[in-house]
Amino acid sequence: MSKQISTWRRWLLSSPPAEWALNQLREALIGAIKQGRVPRHIAFVMDGNRRYARSRRIETVEGHNLGFEALARILEVCYKSGVTHVTIYAFSIENFKRSRYEVDALMQMAKIKLTQLSQHGELLDRYGARIRILGQRSLLSKDVLEAMDRAVKMTERNNRTVLNVCFPYTSRDEITTSVRETVEEWCKPVRTVDTDSGHRRRVFAEDRIRRNVERQEQLERIEEKEMESVEPRADGEQLYDDSMPLFDQASLEDTSSEPNHLSDHSREPDEHGMLPALSPSSSTTTLPQEIFSSSTASSPPTSYHSSPKQQPQSTSLEALQPSKSSPSLPNPESITANTITAHLFAPDDPPLDLLIRTSGVERLSDFMLWQCHEDTRIVFLDVLWPEFDLWTFLPVLWEWQWRARKEEQGRIEEASGHLVKVA
Amino acid sequence: MSIEERRQLLERYLPDPPQTSQGNTAATTSSKHKSGRRRRVRPFLKQKLYLFFYLAIQFIFGIYIRVRQIASAIFQKFIAVRHYHHRTPAYIQKDLKNLSRSPEHLSVILKFDSSADDGLETLLDEVAELSAWSASAGISLLSIYEKSGILKQYMSAVEEIVQQKLVLYFGAPPATPTLRVFAPNVPSIPPTRSTDTPATTNEVTNGENHYQLSGINLNLLLLSQSDGRDTLVDLTRTLTEMAQGHKLRPKDITVDLIDAEISAITSIPPPAETKPSKLNGHINGVQNLECTLPSEPDLLIVFAPYIKLDGYPPWQIRLTEIFCVGDSGGDVSGRQRTRVEYQAFLRALWSYAGAEFRFGS
Repeated sequence: MSKQISTWRRWLLSSPPAEWALNQLREALIGAIKQGRVPRHIAFVMDGNRRYARSRRIETVEGHNLGFEALARILEVCYKSGVTHVTIYAFSIENFKRSRYEVDALMQMAKIKLTQLSQHGELLDRYGARIRILGQRSLLSKDVLEAMDRAVKMTERNNRTVLNVCFPYTSRDEITTSVRETVEEWCKPVRTVDTDSGHRRRVFAEDRIRRNVERQEQLERIEEKEMESVEPRADGEQLYDDSMPLFDQASLEDTSSEPNHLSDHSREPDEHGMLPALSPSSSTTTLPQEIFSSSTASSPPTSYHSSPKQQPQSTSLEALQPSKSSPSLPNPESITANTITAHLFAPDDPPLDLLIRTSGVERLSDFMLWQCHEDTRIVFLDVLWPEFDLWTFLPVLWEWQWRARKEEQGRIEEASGHLVKVA
Repeated sequence: MSIEERRQLLERYLPDPPQTSQGNTAATTSSKHKSGRRRRVRPFLKQKLYLFFYLAIQFIFGIYIRVRQIASAIFQKFIAVRHYHHRTPAYIQKDLKNLSRSPEHLSVILKFDSSADDGLETLLDEVAELSAWSASAGISLLSIYEKSGILKQYMSAVEEIVQQKLVLYFGAPPATPTLRVFAPNVPSIPPTRSTDTPATTNEVTNGENHYQLSGINLNLLLLSQSDGRDTLVDLTRTLTEMAQGHKLRPKDITVDLIDAEISAITSIPPPAETKPSKLNGHINGVQNLECTLPSEPDLLIVFAPYIKLDGYPPWQIRLTEIFCVGDSGGDVSGRQRTRVEYQAFLRALWSYAGAEFRFGS
């Protein structure tokens, strides 16, 4: 009976009017999605191909083929509705731990898929989609690499949308690679402007600007203190005395030692830049340890202890000079989370808005950890990947849009609430 | 499948080939005047129609979400009525018996509502309740993530309140589980029943020490946003410094190295020597097996209508089973906080036991 119904249904759905209506409906729904906010970057864990094959009693390879079809289906929806970046988890580094036989089969399949992709390169062109492969290339065999490069090369010119294929990938590996590359970059000496003769010198030195700002603040502070000192206060007098020479120093330095600063300090971090001018006593302690710790073992640390108070400013800068002429290394403190993000496999991608994992497994399995642990909405669906289609995907998109709208409303309400409070 | 077959297969899902302008103009030369206008009007109407569809869908979806919320609220109420802990560990154990597995390290994402007057009080009470349930369920490590890190500021208060709650559940001191509260990079509070010097979380754990306490141990780990990316950044800085000082080659940086470092920060050191207890003899044998607690949580419960990790430490959640409490309470937007309820805790543990563990895709 059920079989009969399903045959009927299939017949009905494949009849021309029904097909036309369905297509119109799909178009309308995708067009409607486009009217709201659309996630820019979606990631998929395509889980469940094998289980699907097992449950349908078809061959695993056939399951994977159906999975590939599902991917094409989903990509169409994504790109039509305005998603620009799609990332898929194709193969985990951990998968190498599976049996040799299975790994070989998977590799073979990847190769076939990539070759297919390059055979249909012009089809991907219609999406304007560009393939990028993210992962540890060193783990792959040569023929797979070749197929990979060919597929990447074919779609190079497309720039409307991006398809990231994570192959062989784990997020921990990605983070580690990023950390390693950051460390490597920070181990390269910074080229100072001096050595680079062809380089155009910038007219404005960050340092001087900073010092001017400081001086203004200093002035304000002094004015404040003068105001305070109208009423008799013992400690106020003391503070005033202390701050005066500092002020002198700053102004003196400003006029005399500009050229030095132009070349020396332009790439140094803030705290260092303003220390010598403002707090001579503290600069003597922090300079040698934090900034020059590793790069300048040659010159004795005592030379930095010459406080600017005792010596003329110019000589104390010259004392710093030898350390500068040897290649100086960037300060590790200037590494931020953004630095690590910039060294990931796909640094320029927009933030991940949505991560979808099919087949009901509620785990990330080492996928996009760094990218998805902040504002990404993570959705675990209870369908197997080959069954995943527009009708299962749409509710996810609707909910995302709905939540995004609510969040926006909340933000506006909050903002207006603040305004009311202020008023 | 041949190339042609595959092409046909894919063809269905592809957009129309980009139309060349030439073909267009050729087709429309006959009625240029009319179609020019039509070409402007039709997309406009289509756009309006789509916008209408969008708003209609969003409206209907809003209703659907509310209905779903009511349905799940009824379902949750039903569970809550059938299963209540009565502040008795035995009831909790009964609810959780016959489970195929239970997490050793449970993690929870809680929200702190800074706008509410009793925000902190509520949060502390929730931490205490969760601790008591976890202790009853035999979970030895409970980590609580709260984005702003306010719990870390009130560590002694947390400890006190949790201790009170444990006494309420388990009874006076000899029966109370030993509680230890930690936070990464914060010197820990010594165990309540120990007079030893506080052990710091950075202490290296080795297999030599064992839990030598009677009954149940509960370790409470307080996490905040700074234990996520910032910790990895700090590690990168340290590694950079070492590399600049030629103490380390960049290629020495491997997944294992980072993993070791990250887990050293969040792992719980074995308890400092505490009073040997009477029960020590026969329990010791079992407890010799577990030396250090896993720094990766086995189960993460997100108390929110939908999953958003909100800055939870990324390195550790690689294989963590994530359970989302889902719609509940009178809030659909996810702006308000989801209350921590016993039924949600139960559902999470049940679902964890039912989930099959597989790696890879």
